[in-house]
Amino acid sequence: MHEYQFKILEFLKDRGESSVDEIVEATGIALDAARWAIETLAEQKAIEVSKEREKILSLTEEGKGYVNEMPEETFVKQLAKHGTAKLSEIKDSIGLMWAKRNGWINIENGVAKLTAEGVRHSKSAEYPLRQVLERLDSSSADDEYVGKHEGEIVLLEKRNLVKVSERSSMGAVRITSAGKRMLEEGTNEEGINQLTKEMLLSGSWKNKKFKSYNINAPTEEVYAARLHPMREFNNHLRSLWVSMGFTEVSGPIIESAFWDFDALFSPQDHPTREMQDTFFLSNPNEISVEDLPLLKRVKKMHLSSWGDVWREEVAKQALLRTHSTSVSAHYIYKFSKLLSEEYPVKLFSLGKVFRNESVDYKHLAELTQYDGIIIGDKLSFSNLVDTLRRFYDLLGFDTNPRNKKFKFKPSYFPFVEPGLEALYYDEEKQDWIELVGGGIIRKEITKALGTKKTVLAWGGGVERLLFHFMNLDSLTTLYKNEVQWLRKRPKIDI
Amino acid sequence: MAVVSFSLKDLGIEGAAELAEKIGLDVESVEGDTLSIDVPPNRPDLLDFFGLRRSMLYYSGKRVPADSDYAVSAPAETSITVTKNVEKIRPFISSFVAKKVNMSEQHLKYLINFTEKLSETYGRKRKKMAMGLHNYDAVKGPLVYDASDVGKFIPLGSSQAMSFGEIIKSHPKGIAFGNTIESGKNRALYPYLKDSEKIMSLIPIINSKATAIGKSTENILVDVTGTSEKTVNSTASLLAASFIDQGAEIHPVEIKYEKRSLMQPDMAYREVKVNLSKIDGTLGMRLIENLLITYANRLGHPASKYGNSLLVKVPPYRLDVFNYQDIIEDIAIGFGYENISPTPVHSTAIGLFNELQEYINKLAVFMIGVGYTEAVNNYLTNQDVAFKQMRLPEDANVVKITYSKTENITMLRNSILPSLLLTLGRSTHEKMPQRLFEIGSVFSVEDDKAAERVNLSFVSEHSRSNFADAKGVLDSMFGFLGIKYSLREEKNPSFIEGRCAGIYSEGKHIGTIGEVHPEVLNNFKIAEPVAACEVNLIGEVSYFKE
Repeated sequence: MHEYQFKILEFLKDRGESSVDEIVEATGIALDAARWAIETLAEQKAIEVSKEREKILSLTEEGKGYVNEMPEETFVKQLAKHGTAKLSEIKDSIGLMWAKRNGWINIENGVAKLTAEGVRHSKSAEYPLRQVLERLDSSSADDEYVGKHEGEIVLLEKRNLVKVSERSSMGAVRITSAGKRMLEEGTNEEGINQLTKEMLLSGSWKNKKFKSYNINAPTEEVYAARLHPMREFNNHLRSLWVSMGFTEVSGPIIESAFWDFDALFSPQDHPTREMQDTFFLSNPNEISVEDLPLLKRVKKMHLSSWGDVWREEVAKQALLRTHSTSVSAHYIYKFSKLLSEEYPVKLFSLGKVFRNESVDYKHLAELTQYDGIIIGDKLSFSNLVDTLRRFYDLLGFDTNPRNKKFKFKPSYFPFVEPGLEALYYDEEKQDWIELVGGGIIRKEITKALGTKKTVLAWGGGVERLLFHFMNLDSLTTLYKNEVQWLRKRPKIDI
Repeated sequence: MAVVSFSLKDLGIEGAAELAEKIGLDVESVEGDTLSIDVPPNRPDLLDFFGLRRSMLYYSGKRVPADSDYAVSAPAETSITVTKNVEKIRPFISSFVAKKVNMSEQHLKYLINFTEKLSETYGRKRKKMAMGLHNYDAVKGPLVYDASDVGKFIPLGSSQAMSFGEIIKSHPKGIAFGNTIESGKNRALYPYLKDSEKIMSLIPIINSKATAIGKSTENILVDVTGTSEKTVNSTASLLAASFIDQGAEIHPVEIKYEKRSLMQPDMAYREVKVNLSKIDGTLGMRLIENLLITYANRLGHPASKYGNSLLVKVPPYRLDVFNYQDIIEDIAIGFGYENISPTPVHSTAIGLFNELQEYINKLAVFMIGVGYTEAVNNYLTNQDVAFKQMRLPEDANVVKITYSKTENITMLRNSILPSLLLTLGRSTHEKMPQRLFEIGSVFSVEDDKAAERVNLSFVSEHSRSNFADAKGVLDSMFGFLGIKYSLREEKNPSFIEGRCAGIYSEGKHIGTIGEVHPEVLNNFKIAEPVAACEVNLIGEVSYFKE
């Protein structure tokens, strides 16, 4: 008889009947191990176990993404900002559909408009559906709760936001007369249980038998302390760039608009420079550019290329960088002032970037980007194509042109010309997914930054790649740090 | 970026989706007869059905460009006098008359969609530039572009005459775009367009019913107004090209500013010369000289050899071409990116890791060794988590966000510990002990300047977690790093009094260690005791220094 079985029978001998929870509490055996012991004892008819069925409610990945706000709520909030919206221009069809069903909007002549109820919900009213999601996200639901909210739960299940599964669980556990007999026999069994220091020193183990264990008995789960997958993956990317001869650099995430936008040829009235897309700061609210000749050259570049006006106040605005290309700009400038450098200079950086997004399971306001530059003479577009192809080949993508799983296509970024984008073919999604954007930095920029050299530049998102290598279904999983996930997450397939 | 959708049948071009990709557009979807593409901001001409169709015809070689393709066909039709009143509010206007327009209902829809997308994106929501279309047969020239505080007409979408002020207040378009008109000190000045008899339009809000266009309209007057002359004039060229593709004739309009006058639209082809060796050098390939003209033609540029250069004529609707660099890209696109052969960069450069990152990595591995799992949290947070839930007074010297679309984002974190407590609160049902650490940046504002520091924080949650738990780890870690330190009892509202200490090294306060206050545990919905520590590793990170 296994030690656990023995302990459980002994406990039940005095109690007669008990529950699994009580057994775990009294014997100190881990839950999984206790279940195993109870099941095997029941097979041997040493105990009787009554079965109970239990409903288990859990959130799906999509459901988890809506805990703070459901699509129909997002929809009416957005609609409240604009007043009305044409159906043909509405992209969020889920939000639209449910807002309509809830009677939060009216649709007339293809135009959606808020009802009084919709106006209320656009100002964060209580919404029973979301409240159920919230509750299920933070704790499990008992029968009473499920009974009270049956309507909502059925609807959520239909929307595939909540998963309902049934589990049979163990009820009362009772010892039988056969069990009592087993216990008596077991008590008299001879042999060594735990080998001790004393036994080793005295040699007393020599003429005794070791009790044999059931090697299939479950053991306590062991959790390794682990690195976060972002660190693991970032380190992998870093080592690939270094192996290709690139040196790692870094730069501030709190930047002036000057380095994030102006130095990179983005006109001052460009839509991405609005509060809707970029996090501007109120403290500090400006970062001045101390290098006046540089400031003058960038101003001149804007006036001669974009016409219009260029204002220093706009360039001084403090913000959270929207791309790490700002780091590349700093380094192009820095190297323009060094005389004795050996070219080409190859640099990369990896760090956080920020976008003013409504956060949900597909969108994050905070992302990680890697950026690379090569500064030198006689560098060409075909050098860029070669560098990127090598990198993604090292990373494990099939870049062989004959297999048609990887390609370059023209793309537009204000700071490069010509510009390109590299994509890979995702078998599962059956679609081309963007890996990186890049090009040759415009001469207007390199001139303003003080260099006559050619600069090849590129930048790509890390989370997107990690998504691919870890097979994630929600971006938010990465930064939620759920302890269970951190402990049990699959290894990264690199 | 703007997504536009067109009917494949209307386009009538084989392999339209593939062609769109080759030109450099992202194909969003092909569903049934509808092709949806994402147009980058540098190519407003492709927001137009005719613009897209034209570029596909050129690329596929079905049409060969000539510098006479897009031209005006007659002397000035009428004139617009610009008064001094608009100078400070919306100074520029361009215009032309399109005659013999023969539009199907579908074409009219495309035209309206195009002007709307154009004023939304390129026109920055009508503020920088907006357009109006009028039935020219209902216009009695010459016209005047003026501004006034009073004026009345029957706007589209209304059956009664409304004053300028009423339109701004109660007409849907007035409500939507009224913000484009900046009011003066004492009274609002409204820009408007009139002919010799009547008001045609309140600019850039709404046109008059009197000059409304319909599908039977044959002659259309287009007005483009805005705050940038370059944008206004180039938009007129863009629209004129679209009308020419529909088979219309373009008749110019004379714009009379106070001190000068000019003919619009300007349909001249700009000449750009590109040295042949520059093309080869930039692309890193030796292209066949005779084919360069073909590649330029595929992107709609008439081109010819000129000594050692290629002479390219840029059509008036191509607003994205600044100089030779843009032509070289067009030639690369014409050549096809898939045909560019990779050439290795010759370099003996040795790659090096960033020292700070390597230091952090070593420490992370050490923390794993003492049984702590790594968490990575966002830098963005809010005052509620950073201060209120931590029982701390609000610190004004944090980096603050002006506006966020997500409610609970207001600042950058100034400490890592709140993020780790949030994390523990989310996993109360998981098996104990739970031991987590995080190494990352924290931010503050000092003397109006942002400062970034690198901190390490760790937490240990289980039924018997205590001060000694945390102290043991801290001691072992500082031993590993070779840092000498001392502890002094400290009062910190986030921790239990008498079980909290300040960490000092070389006389400086570098961190805090202790048992987390039960009220804080409640705030974060943590069910078991937590011992915690946060310590500063790098005083202030400085970048770009030697």
